Amino acid sequence: MRLLRPLFVVLLLAAGASRAATLPELFQERLKSVVEVEFFIQSEIDRQPVMVLGTVVDDQGTIVLPGPAIQPTVAPGQLKEFKVYRAGNTEATRAEYLGQDAYTGWHFIRVEPKLRGELVPITHWPAMKSAPALSEELWGIGLRGKDEDFLPYFLSSRVATVMKLPQETAICGSDVAGPGLPVFNTTGEFAGLALPSFGQNYLVFSRNQHGSPIMLVNIEESSAVQLAREVLPYLHRIPETVSGRPLPWFGAYGLQPMDPDVAKLLKLENQSGVVLSDIASGTPAEQAGLRDRDIVLAIDGSPLPRLKPDRIVAGYFSQQILLHRPGDTLNLTILRGSERKEVTVTLGSEPKLVREAERHYFDRLGVTVREFLNADAISMRVAPTEHRGVVAHFIKPGGPAATAGLRPEDWIREIDGTEITSYQQALDLLHAVEVDKERSEVVFLVGRGAETAVIRVKLI
Amino acid sequence: MAILFLPAAGSAAISRGFDRLLEAVVRIDVREIEFADGARRFTGGIGSGVIISNDGVILTNAHVASPQAVEISVTLASLERVGAKLVGWDHWTDLAVLRLDLEEVKRRKLSFTAAEFGDSDALFPGETVFAVGTPFGLTRTLTRGIISNNRRPFEDTRGVRGYETGLFNNWLQTDAAINPGNSGGPLVTEDGRVVGINSRAYIGAENLGFAIPSNVARRVSTELVRHGSITRSYIGLVPGVLQDLEKFYALAVNTGLLVNGVDPGSPAARAGLRPGDVVLTLNGQKLDGRFPEQLPPIQQSIAVLPVGATVQLSVKRGTQTLALSLQTEKLVSRVGEEWAFEKWGLSVRKVTRTYAREHQLADDTGVLVLGVQPGYPAAEAGLEHGDIITKVGNELVTELDKLKQVYGAYEANPTPQLVEAQRDRRISLYVLKP
Repeated sequence: MRLLRPLFVVLLLAAGASRAATLPELFQERLKSVVEVEFFIQSEIDRQPVMVLGTVVDDQGTIVLPGPAIQPTVAPGQLKEFKVYRAGNTEATRAEYLGQDAYTGWHFIRVEPKLRGELVPITHWPAMKSAPALSEELWGIGLRGKDEDFLPYFLSSRVATVMKLPQETAICGSDVAGPGLPVFNTTGEFAGLALPSFGQNYLVFSRNQHGSPIMLVNIEESSAVQLAREVLPYLHRIPETVSGRPLPWFGAYGLQPMDPDVAKLLKLENQSGVVLSDIASGTPAEQAGLRDRDIVLAIDGSPLPRLKPDRIVAGYFSQQILLHRPGDTLNLTILRGSERKEVTVTLGSEPKLVREAERHYFDRLGVTVREFLNADAISMRVAPTEHRGVVAHFIKPGGPAATAGLRPEDWIREIDGTEITSYQQALDLLHAVEVDKERSEVVFLVGRGAETAVIRVKLI
Repeated sequence: MAILFLPAAGSAAISRGFDRLLEAVVRIDVREIEFADGARRFTGGIGSGVIISNDGVILTNAHVASPQAVEISVTLASLERVGAKLVGWDHWTDLAVLRLDLEEVKRRKLSFTAAEFGDSDALFPGETVFAVGTPFGLTRTLTRGIISNNRRPFEDTRGVRGYETGLFNNWLQTDAAINPGNSGGPLVTEDGRVVGINSRAYIGAENLGFAIPSNVARRVSTELVRHGSITRSYIGLVPGVLQDLEKFYALAVNTGLLVNGVDPGSPAARAGLRPGDVVLTLNGQKLDGRFPEQLPPIQQSIAVLPVGATVQLSVKRGTQTLALSLQTEKLVSRVGEEWAFEKWGLSVRKVTRTYAREHQLADDTGVLVLGVQPGYPAAEAGLEHGDIITKVGNELVTELDKLKQVYGAYEANPTPQLVEAQRDRRISLYVLKP
């Protein structure tokens, strides 16, 4: 390296380049760390193409994609035909979906070996050791779409502020990179990953509207950058399973920030806290003896940080839980009334998620039913032990079920007057309906919020 | 000659009856309190009404004059303005009863005429009717049409200022033009007899207007004059239309009321009634609820029972027939009492038993935030429309009066108040700071 560096400088001087001239070179080099990823989400009746930007994180062809690229209700089995494209190159290389990491929210994919040699992981480049200073210039890469051959382009801006959200995030004055792509400083050090863009408030003026507020979100570029030190330590969190498990479970669904005025009134000046509520029975939180209105002040002896806006602390608390594994214990310092208490919670394993739920599409009815989950019990406000019925997961537009008034998320409790006590029972009944060509109707009893309705589906 | 003579006599009768009716129709201007946006505000509205007795009782719509009215001014046919007071109010039938200030009438030597009721049950589709009222403030407007349907079910869970309406009666449908401001005015036959109280119309549709039948209005107004309100019985059964499902439920022809839903915690729920059940008889009476217009009379037959009365139901569930017995309770609206705490910039509505059941709350503790005024303590604390305040300081808000007491103490000595509120079962803490 010592030998090479002077040579490098000499070459640059020979070319008569100034310092600014290195940026195009850096840009060309760093392009090897970015890709565009195409895949399909297969639904019951169609497939929806998705294009998303990704960053290469290791020599094994592992690529991270931003969390919002895939809706949480989509089952991994619905994700089809991942293809990876390099900047400015239309050649597609297949990739495999590895799952979503709960803490970072990133989706991980791995590209086939043949492309790996062409890619350079982001960890290959030096990283910034500290947060960028205000006004420091950062730059990044944007990629155009498939019809423009994934043409790369250069973006740059200066740091306007650095905030904890709860991860340290630099907000630039204007867009610095495509969401999910890396951002660098002018010496080429890795500064962080661009987050999905934040909304910007505007007023719309027109003949009829005099300054109506709207929010614009740029889906192609972003000015928010999660700093390198919030990114690099978590790149190894490649999911062990495609479902993202193991996943820890705490079980309090109401996590509200304690606002500073409340803290002052409770004589907790300069402390931060999270008010717990909606603690379902049978959850680890309940088993640990936590109750509605308990205020969590510290985890394992570390006080919760004061973050702005106040609500960020609830996100911080959730993320601290997600850094653990099922079976881990957390020592929480809580305030109950005026009494301080220590409570030890043994984290459980997150009950089955919607994306993991068994589901089946019945084409003649035009409905997908899925098994009833713990999360459904919580949203329907029934005891989790009362798991009965199935849930209408998808309703085919214009299909018999849709025409009869069945809606997504309806809780199907009876089929033809038979109470449903298991998913398999519902499948058997509906299969029988599907194959019976003499059948002209099927009657569902469904729950919807606090209401119920008898719905008669006429079969064609 | 005879043929020519009869219509002439008819016309004379029409004009006499009509004259009398027109003398009885009034314009009603209302100034009332509104508790939106964290404040107590005055708003105004215009409607119509009809004088139905010689002692100055006026029938109008519940959505024209409500208990929040602070000033009601009536314009008589003689173009004289007289004050009036609200006597009774019933949002379920969208009817309100006012009484003219008779002392003022006497002092100013004014006169008025009372209209006569006709028999709304005797109306037939196609019969000519007239609507009289104040559409868009155009006083004494007469429009003509026919009875389009005399048994139209029309249930609206938020129809009268957010209150429920139409569950217990069918409506008259007419193509006589009915516009905003016609509300509360009479629908009359050619002889000037009141057969309905005009109440609503489909906005954006043409000539689809609805009126409360006079036979309902007569009964309700008598009770409102006597008691000021109407007490109804409730069991928590939400009926569905059985139409075409008789075969599925293996029912005899023209029998049964389908239970579409059972309100959680209601008498029907406690008695074990379940959605999907079919009620065959109610207190021994056979039920026939196949079509939507058959449901309001069945609902009414439950509503007129005394509160606490025992109801015997014969219920078909699958192949079983069950006998269930339950006690009615008093029907309560989802809309509770409203109030504004002006120094907090907070307007609220009491959570009622019905609201709590509908929203799956544990009980009726709390007040719903209707609105907050920007810059006032409630808004500064972060409270928003839709939050349910359950506790202030150490006081559980079981009654609106509890909150009024806390507020009274705050007004005398403003100190920070810790507020507990929930939204979608998630509890948050707030501080109301002076």
